[in-house]
Parts: sequence; C-alpha cells; structure tokens
Amino acid sequence: MMNKHKFKKMFFKYSTYLAVALITLIILFPIIYIIPFAFKSKSEFSSLHDYTWLPKQWQWNNFKYVFQVNVNGGKFLNALISTTIVAVIGTILVVFVNMLAGYGFARYNFKGKKILFGFVLFTMFIPGITIMLTSIRLCNVLGLTNTIFVLFLPGVASGFNVFFFRQYFYAFPDNLEESAMIDGANAWQIFSRIYLPMSITPMVIVGVGSFMGHWNNYLWVTLTITKNEEYLTQVMQIIRSLSGSPASRHGNGIVIAGTLVSLIIPFLLYVIFQKRIVEGIALTGTK
Amino acid sequence: MKKKRRKTASNKVNNYQRKKERPGYYFILLSVVWVTIFVYVPLIMAVVRVFQDYNTGEFIGFENFDYVLKTPTFINSFKNVIVLSLIITTLMTVFSFGFASLINKVTNEKVAGITKALIYIPNLMSGVIIAIIFNLLINEGIGLFAAIRVANNKWPIKFTTDGIWPYISIIVPTLWVGIGYNTLIMLAGLLNVPKEYYEAAKLDGANSWHLFVHITLPNMKNYFILVISAQITGNLQMLEIPMWITGGGPLEKTMTPTLYLFNTFRDSGRSPNIAIAGALIIMIIIVTMNIISFRLIHSKKAEV
Repeated sequence: MMNKHKFKKMFFKYSTYLAVALITLIILFPIIYIIPFAFKSKSEFSSLHDYTWLPKQWQWNNFKYVFQVNVNGGKFLNALISTTIVAVIGTILVVFVNMLAGYGFARYNFKGKKILFGFVLFTMFIPGITIMLTSIRLCNVLGLTNTIFVLFLPGVASGFNVFFFRQYFYAFPDNLEESAMIDGANAWQIFSRIYLPMSITPMVIVGVGSFMGHWNNYLWVTLTITKNEEYLTQVMQIIRSLSGSPASRHGNGIVIAGTLVSLIIPFLLYVIFQKRIVEGIALTGTK
Repeated sequence: MKKKRRKTASNKVNNYQRKKERPGYYFILLSVVWVTIFVYVPLIMAVVRVFQDYNTGEFIGFENFDYVLKTPTFINSFKNVIVLSLIITTLMTVFSFGFASLINKVTNEKVAGITKALIYIPNLMSGVIIAIIFNLLINEGIGLFAAIRVANNKWPIKFTTDGIWPYISIIVPTLWVGIGYNTLIMLAGLLNVPKEYYEAAKLDGANSWHLFVHITLPNMKNYFILVISAQITGNLQMLEIPMWITGGGPLEKTMTPTLYLFNTFRDSGRSPNIAIAGALIIMIIIVTMNIISFRLIHSKKAEV
C-alpha cells in the first residue's frame, strides 16, 4: 500500500508534468493547427457551416501553385534563393564584426574604451522608427537602394550583439592567453587559435538570430527595394503578397502552403542548432 | 619589428600594457565605423531635420515637436501603447516566471530539454506569418473560433473590431511569440539561485511563500528587470502585429505610435519631419527607461 506522503509526492510530480505538457501544447497549437489548411482547396474556405480541420480533399497542388506566384517580377524559388544568399552573407558579416568588437572590448584595455563601448551599446536603444526615414535617405545617397547591399549592410553592427559577445569573452580567465603570448603569438593568432574555437555557442546564437532576422525581413525590404528587381524579391514579400490577396485564384490554402515552405529553412536551422540556442539563451541573462 | 616589441613587453609591465592596447582598437574598429555610418549618421540627420520645415528647409525651432504633440492620433496612440505595454509586460513576466518554475520542477532531463526546445519555436516566426496564423483562428469568415460559434448557432465574434477583442487580438499573439524566449531567461535565473539557500530556509521552517519572497525574488531580481525592461522597450515599439492584425483600428483604438509614424512616413501628404519629432520623443522615453533599469541592475550588484 502506498503511504500518504509518497502519494502526495507522486501526485505533484505528475500534475507538474501534465501542466508542462499542456502549456507546451497550447503554445504549439496555432502552428499545428494551420498545417492541414495548406492542403485545402479554395471552396473549403468559403463556408463555416461544414468546417473541418482536415481537408476533405487533399490539395497537393497548392504547393505547386505557390511556386508560380510572381511578386515584383520574382517567383518564390527566386525569393528563397535570394533570401538565403542575403541571409548567409549578412550573418557572416554580423558574426564577424560583432564578435571582433565584443572580443576587443572584453579582452583589451585601451584609452577611451568606456566611451567607445557606450557609443556602440547605445545603438541598442535607438528605435528603428527614429532613423528609418533618414536611413533610407542615406542609402539613397550611398547608392545602396535597389541593390542587394541594402538588404544586409546597414544592420551589420549592433549594440546588443557586441554586448552579447563581450559578456561571453569576459568570462574567460586572464591567464588563458599568457602561455600563447610567451610562445610569441600575435593578437590575431591569440584570438583565432585560442578564443575562436571556444566561442562556437555565441557564434551560433548570434548567427541563427541574424539569419532569422534577414529571413523574416519585410518592412525594410519594401522600403528600400522599390523597383521590380526579380532577383531581389525576398521570401516575406511573397508570403505577404499572398496573404494580402487570398481571394485570388487559388484561395487561402496557397497562403498557408507558402508559409509552410518559407518555414522549412528556419526550422531545419533551429533543429540543427537547437541545443546550443536553448542553452545559450541563459548567457543573455547573465549580466 | 613585432618581435622586438614583444620582447620588451614581457620584461616591462608598462610596455606590456601599452602593447596590449593597440590591437584592442583594431578589434573594435569595424563595429565603431559601422554604427557611425549606419546608425549615428541617420540619427544626426534626423535630429537636424526635426528642427527644419519640411518644405522650405528653414529652421523653425521646436515647431515640429509642438505640432506632433498636438496631434490627437499621436497622443492617443501613446495612451494605447502604454496600456498595451503594461498588460503585455505584466502577463509576460508572470507567465514566463510561472512556466519556468514548472519546468524547473521537471526532474527528467529529456522531458525538460524537449519542452525547452519546443516552446522557443514561435520565436522563429516573422510578423507576416504571425498575422497569417492568427487570422486562421480569429477571422470571422474562415477562423476556428467563428466556426465554433457558427456550429453553436451564434454569430461569429468580430475580433478585430468588437469591444475589447481588438486588444486581445494584439496581446495574445505578442505573448505567444515571446513566451518561450522569456521562459528560458527566467529558467536560467532560477537555475542560478543556489539550492543550499532553499534547503537552509526549509530547515528554519520557511513555507513556500517565504521561499519565494525571500530567496527566489531577490536572487532573480536582475532577471526580472531584464525581462521587464526588454518587454517595455519592445512593446512601446509595437508595429507589425497591430499593423497586420487590427490595422490600428477600430477608430484608432489599437493605433500605436510606431504604426502611426510609419503610416505618416509612407503618406506623402504629411510632413515626415513631424513624424521624426514623434519618433525622437519615443527614443527619449526608451533611453530614459533603459538608463533606469541599468541603474537598478547595477545597484543590486553594489549591494552584494
């Protein structure tokens, strides 16, 4: 026979598990819920009276139609490729520039360090809307507008990412580089041979975050790509344009189909790096 | 030449430090140049323009500020966003802390790991996609809730226009996107509280409320400040979710300052310099708030 104390303990344990499972399910519900809608034909969206979650007829063609849609002269496949290129270049630059800065601020002492760090960090608190209009003007002057560069150059350095890397490099013990210095390694070698290999986690976190930022970019794209440039069409432009006119030929199913396709790459990326990201978020909070 | 410097460096402390200085500049150079060009130059351009008349370029002092502060839509949007921010920030803090406490009690590492991985997923969604997802739930023509109402012989609720539903239609998606991330931060905070504290307090006969108030809260103060200040900073700038779910309506009830300014920028009929004045006001508020929260975090460290 189970004694009372043990029963109570078991009860709490399982009700905790149940609550956690339930909340997780609620959080995931909207995403799971929309999946079957990608397979519905236009007619299934017309009436609420015979509403079913699963499609009555699985309309695989929706996924074919998605690739035929044309936005700003670009098709979905163009957009997937173009956005991937933009996101990859952008991410490499973001990781490189911010990591170097974070390393410099964490591991070196130099005159004016505090002021320069404040200068970089302060950009965190400048709302996008405050400099939106003048940034567009600047990009016009620099000739970046309507080129691929406008999609990744302006956002490379950020106060938050520098801060994030700095926190990470700060945590290393001081004597780490001493032996290397005695061996005659220069500053760059110390960074690239000692610190870089140990910094995969923050690189992954900033990198995946940056990739997602580029992938999900919509407003900045519409503001700075104003001509029909088929190779500059970005994924979210396609998705937004689909959802803006769902009554078009193929109905709402194609909007969801496009959404699901657009989520494949972010999702794969997340699955691959999930462990480091989840662990690494703890780092964000440490100071 | 390099070799020579290194040799003296290892001998003299002073030279060692000076030698150490220079590469520091090289490492930070790119980031400083980058933010100067792409953040501070546009910011200075904005500050110059805010004192100019848009059409003539004449300097007109604070007239643009004066004008935007007398624009009812802008003032109302501020009231809206403050209410929305307070509600969202409170709920986010409570939910993320509560959920983190629950996950913290899950002893099975695999279950905890999977949970943490799953709850972060909404964070991957863009504003465009969030609007699409929630449209399938709340749209009165095709949404799930409307279908449920119809099946029960009731009229569908007009989520984007009726009563308090427009607010809820903005609050829920905003919570949904951020809940996983903030729960993970809170969880990191909970794991940071030394377990011995709890054990010692329990020996002294403390109940769970005492444990929460006297051990959990003070030890997690920085995490709470972090979540709360990031939430307020983010929510004050709410743009995409109101833009695509309610469009700021009905009757500008869910209009946010950022959305209003964004619309103004795109509307060639209105002077963008006035909108820049509004945007600078938002910046001043956000900067002030963050200075306060940084001070709060700092003061705690000084105590300990």
